[in-house]
Amino acid sequence: MPLVETEAIVLRTHRLGEADKIVSLLTRQLGRLRAVAKGALSRRSRFGSALEPLSYIRLWIYDREGRDLQRLGSAEVVESFFEMQKDYRMQVAAQYLAEVTERFLPDREVNERAFRLLMAVLRALKHFGEVNRPLLFFDYWLLRLGGFLPDLSCCMKCRKSFAGQAGFYVESSESLLCSACRSGGSGTQLSAQALALIDEFRSARIEEWLRMKKAPAGSRELRLFLEQVIEAHLERKLVTRRLLAEEG
Amino acid sequence: MKEYTAPLARLIDELKHLPGIGQKSAQRIAFYLERAPRDDVQRLAEALLDAKDKIRLCSLCNNLTELDPCEYCSDPRRDPEVICVVETPYNVVSVEKSREFRGHYHVLHGALSPLQGIGPEQLKLRNLIERLNGGTVRELIVATSPTVEGEATAVYLAKLVKPLGVKVSRIAMGIPVGSDLEFADEVTMLRALEGRREM
Repeated sequence: MPLVETEAIVLRTHRLGEADKIVSLLTRQLGRLRAVAKGALSRRSRFGSALEPLSYIRLWIYDREGRDLQRLGSAEVVESFFEMQKDYRMQVAAQYLAEVTERFLPDREVNERAFRLLMAVLRALKHFGEVNRPLLFFDYWLLRLGGFLPDLSCCMKCRKSFAGQAGFYVESSESLLCSACRSGGSGTQLSAQALALIDEFRSARIEEWLRMKKAPAGSRELRLFLEQVIEAHLERKLVTRRLLAEEG
Repeated sequence: MKEYTAPLARLIDELKHLPGIGQKSAQRIAFYLERAPRDDVQRLAEALLDAKDKIRLCSLCNNLTELDPCEYCSDPRRDPEVICVVETPYNVVSVEKSREFRGHYHVLHGALSPLQGIGPEQLKLRNLIERLNGGTVRELIVATSPTVEGEATAVYLAKLVKPLGVKVSRIAMGIPVGSDLEFADEVTMLRALEGRREM
């Protein structure tokens, strides 16, 4: 059984028996996988705080192909997001990232760009202390990298460009309609300001965009729409999305 | 042909639902019970039902108890001015092992864990606030686990409780007794330094 060294982000952990943990990881070299960390809950655990949610770690894993659960040899912290998550709102945001990543990315499929995206957004949460725009950036790019981002420049029915006009969507819809195509004035509006935001961050690095200006109008409504697209694609409700909404 | 006779298969299946019990452990326990004297099995079955029927939550602290209020809340030798907040009833046992704490408890029955859908609404906070509003409590010791979930819960509690004029303290965290500094990671070491005390 080969011992593989890789970098990883801890997505979540479950208790297994008296002192073990099952750890869900997004690794750089092996993709998303699950592994057992023996003795992780014991007082003399060699894992320390490395297996706390969203820790960026270097790990050594006994990798056997075809197995659902791998075995974790050891792990050390490269960068911790422990302190950041002491704030409940940040904890909800960070665990939203973990939940979406775990549901969205397939098992054992290496995705370097998704790994770098998650790291960049976690660092943005940590350094800027803001939830809304980092999550918007994450939702947009994850959908785009996965090839599930709808065309947000025009109406999906008549293909007319929004060009400064608002779009509209209904619950569980994955795309936008123009005001003429929506039926009977129904649907939630996505303002022209929100749609224009996409141009702002499409070509910028996350930290550059976050430094540009504080809380631009429309960022929350755009994020709520993209969260809905993610849920529609996953065909399930995200547990953390409800808690995010409660936090405002 | 079935692997096991129906009652044995049912017993194994029921045992498998218990935390930490897999197929093999369930089989081992089932075969042990099958060979054990009937009286022993009956005592176990009665103990299970007895515990289920008689145990409830203390209306003051949410600890598991047969009598309401529980033995900690009703003990006149304990100090009602200090409350230790823990995540689960078995954390009460861990604190009691120290033989140092003589105050009251409050069990939250969980910690903030967004991935498990546990937010403030799911924690038993309402009767804690009622206890604090009573005016007797001077200090709240937050003894939640040293994990992301436990820390977030502690910080959330502190924000909630401080406006009520109650002192909020957090149990110390850091290097475990009998361990070695060599094996401490950055978070553990940071915690140990933050929690240092004058000698």
